Amino acid sequence: MPSLYVHVPFCVKKCDYCAFYSLPLLNSCEGLADYLRGVAQEIELRSNEAPAGVSSLYLGGGTPTVLSWRQLDDLLKEIHLHFTFLSGQGKEGQSFPEKTTEANPGTITEEKLKVLRDYGVNRISLGAQSFNDRLLYQIGRIHRAQDILHAVKRIRKAGIENLNLDLIFGLPGQTLEDWQDTLRKAVGLSPEHLSVYALTLEEDTPLGKKYLARDLNSFKMSDRDEAGDLPDDDLQADMYEWAVDFLSNKGFRRYEISNFARSGYECQHNLAYWRCEEYIGLGPGAVSCMRRVRSKNIEDMEAYLKDAAAGKRPFDGAETEFLTPEQQMSEYMMLGLRTEQGIDPIDFYHKFQVSIQDIYGQIMANYIDRDVLSISGGRLKIHPNYSFVANSIIKDFIR
Amino acid sequence: MAQASRNIRNFSIIAHIDHGKSTLADRLIEYTGTLSTRELKEQVLDSMDLERERGITIKLQAVRLRYKAKDGEIYELNLIDTPGHVDFSYEVSRSLAACEGALLVVDAAQGIEAQTLANVYLALENDLEIIPVINKIDLPSAEPERVKQEIEDVIGIDASEAILASAKSGLGVEEILEAIVKRIPPPKGDDEKPLKSLIFDSKFDSYKGAIPYIRIFDGKLGKGTNIKMMSSGKVFEIIEVGVFTPGMTIVEELRAGQVGYIAGSIKNVGDTRVGDTVTDADYPSSEPLPGYRKAVSMVFCGLYPVETSDYDRLKDALEKLQLNDASLMYENETSVALGFGFRCGFLGLLHMEIIQERIEREFGLSIITTAPSVVYKVNTINQEQVLIDNPALLPPEGKIESIEEPMVKATIMVPSEYVGTIMELNQEKRGSFLNMDYITASRVSLYYELPLSEIVYDYFDQLKSRTKGYASLDYELIGYKEANLVKLDIMLNGEIVDALSFIVHKDRAYQRGRKLVEKLRGLIPRQMFEIPVQAVIGSKVIARENIRAMRKDVLAKCYGGDITRKRKLLEKQKEGKKRMKQVGNVEIPQEAFMAVLKMDD
Repeated sequence: MPSLYVHVPFCVKKCDYCAFYSLPLLNSCEGLADYLRGVAQEIELRSNEAPAGVSSLYLGGGTPTVLSWRQLDDLLKEIHLHFTFLSGQGKEGQSFPEKTTEANPGTITEEKLKVLRDYGVNRISLGAQSFNDRLLYQIGRIHRAQDILHAVKRIRKAGIENLNLDLIFGLPGQTLEDWQDTLRKAVGLSPEHLSVYALTLEEDTPLGKKYLARDLNSFKMSDRDEAGDLPDDDLQADMYEWAVDFLSNKGFRRYEISNFARSGYECQHNLAYWRCEEYIGLGPGAVSCMRRVRSKNIEDMEAYLKDAAAGKRPFDGAETEFLTPEQQMSEYMMLGLRTEQGIDPIDFYHKFQVSIQDIYGQIMANYIDRDVLSISGGRLKIHPNYSFVANSIIKDFIR
Repeated sequence: MAQASRNIRNFSIIAHIDHGKSTLADRLIEYTGTLSTRELKEQVLDSMDLERERGITIKLQAVRLRYKAKDGEIYELNLIDTPGHVDFSYEVSRSLAACEGALLVVDAAQGIEAQTLANVYLALENDLEIIPVINKIDLPSAEPERVKQEIEDVIGIDASEAILASAKSGLGVEEILEAIVKRIPPPKGDDEKPLKSLIFDSKFDSYKGAIPYIRIFDGKLGKGTNIKMMSSGKVFEIIEVGVFTPGMTIVEELRAGQVGYIAGSIKNVGDTRVGDTVTDADYPSSEPLPGYRKAVSMVFCGLYPVETSDYDRLKDALEKLQLNDASLMYENETSVALGFGFRCGFLGLLHMEIIQERIEREFGLSIITTAPSVVYKVNTINQEQVLIDNPALLPPEGKIESIEEPMVKATIMVPSEYVGTIMELNQEKRGSFLNMDYITASRVSLYYELPLSEIVYDYFDQLKSRTKGYASLDYELIGYKEANLVKLDIMLNGEIVDALSFIVHKDRAYQRGRKLVEKLRGLIPRQMFEIPVQAVIGSKVIARENIRAMRKDVLAKCYGGDITRKRKLLEKQKEGKKRMKQVGNVEIPQEAFMAVLKMDD
């Protein structure tokens, strides 16, 4: 059964490091209204892709909470009208099925939270990023540390029991102490889940342009002086290792390289991605993967709306990918090895009809010899000491 | 008519790199109407891309020009081009031997350089008529009078009739052509005598086989002639005879004095060795032309495919290159670190670099080149002498009585203010001072005896950089000399990487070992484990550095919308990894194997 993702490509203001498809709000409601009409058309059009229902919902962006409570209501109504959700009880009391929405601390209101609750949204992922106002400002966030506290209060008051905070480390000018302070404050808010990301510089983002510039003279030095230099790999590794230790002491398990949760609060929607299960992505720029075909919706609002209005699936043909068995195996290993659970050879066999030994035997043996990989509980895992250099290992599993 | 035609002139052009040889050749071709300007690609004679990029001629070429002189007669002028690099001095000498005269092209601003001088001496040895041409006289910095004086002082030939020219603008071209006709003697020789012709170059054509370029001294040949290579005694039947216009044009026959090519199903360029004499098998000459010798490899290195599975392709590439280049030697070699590859011998460093680049460019292969080595004579305690061109094969220390290394006599020409610099450099390079001449008040020739291995190491680069490019160098092998030499090994992660071993003078071993491990620490990327890098002599560690373990190599996040992009990123990184050689658990980039050469960067 696939999971369902809906992309809301609007932000009050795009952050300096973000490469996702999102449009600025510009005080105009027309864009939002058009989008809601378009996505409603796509929802209706593609609901037949999940005849047996979907297992989870994730509203992502952009910032889904830039929608007004009425707009959120419209969107969720359409989704629930056309897709059925698997019902039942999750383990350890976790609400089920998991329905997440991403939110920005500056855009959360009681009204919106009430609408979300009404549709069974039981998990909120809050883009906190940092508790240091100077750093928040420098990376172009619209909120301040204080806003996070208010938002969390409102979320809890509304009865949401599963809260994730997104945090970024490795920001320009960030020190280990800054990072420790942020983590302490984050944990102080008692979230169930934490996503801890190293800053990734993407080309075509303001931050990427500033720090990836080959010719270091091509930007104004003053830009950088103000923000400070990027922490080097060693400092980033220190930050990561500190976070892993600290969070583990506070009762968070690292169930994936960048994801920490209290027991029972692992994100089901993301786990499905990492197990290479099927997913339907709706909205401009959203990606779907069904029956070994990965397709991407057009990343252009106008073209997307035109297709949706014409009753056409708004795919970008050029981005459609028919995954070969080699590519599927590569992705299976790439994603699976990032998780604490690791890879189950039996599942591998069921999926690919070939033994993992036949494909990766030699590479596995070499790494197991050196204690980089281990087999425990019948599963293949990266030794926790090597999580932060996982790419070096995963590379060898790419076919 | 028995005598060679008096309307033939065979000549070549002697010039230092950048002094305008190719441009002048172009002008001559253009002026005589051999090719129209439109047909004349820039610098036709240097037809290999590599040559054009490097601005030097590697492979010899020849062209026949038809020139109507002022005396009303039509002359056949054969221009035989020569390579302009010290690695190829034997080839130059054979090209010059095919001529009666030479244009000596000297840059009006820069004067004579060591390489020019060396080639002029070769020309004088071959009794060539030398016509000085002072080129680039339209440059603001031109000093034709000073250069004339220099020619007279240094070479000792009359420069009063030196031609002032600008190959770029075409100035002086007619005067040069007239001088070729008037001053260079026509070839001697007799059509009726037994055939005697000199191979000055050859190339390989996939349809016609090996094609020797020849100059006929006596006799004649044509289609159907049975020719005999005098060095090997091998006999071939000629099926095609032609001349260069500059493309290959078939003619009936070639006679005494003429220059052209022959084809006759010769399968191997090894049978068309430069300097060999071609005679008529049915009417043979009693003795060959003088001066033939086999090409001698001076520099050796290992060539290995980065991808082990490319071994056969590398072998194929070397075979194909050897078809055109008989001076390229190779044989199988196995390295513990690098697997199966080849030990290759070259005429010199430039030759080595050219072959290396051609393998990568023309055959699309990724290769690893180990540090170049010279041939050492190792005297063992059993009174045996072994020749070692691969440091990894040096016998153990206890078995060695002594090691001898090849020595050269080097001639360095330099503005006098750099004399101190040059002396210092030679001191560092274990050179012994032989002599010094003042060419003019401001220019000096220095003569040194130096170990060839030092020249191979980084001598030329140092020479150029320390003299702002003003110094020029020529050298010749003069024999072997005993020296206190040791083998220096490099250990990575506790294991000797045989491909990084080199032989070095004991007094320099510590310093070079120190530098090399530092260099390697910078070149080898951080990996999952800490890697000790050690320089050792025998069992003694003389230098050590650690490459710290890599700490970050990770994707921040990986969700549904991003999986394809992340997979592709890893695919790309995996490709990048292929450029590395896995030795044990350590991944070593290609450059690391050449680091031995570039320690002073």
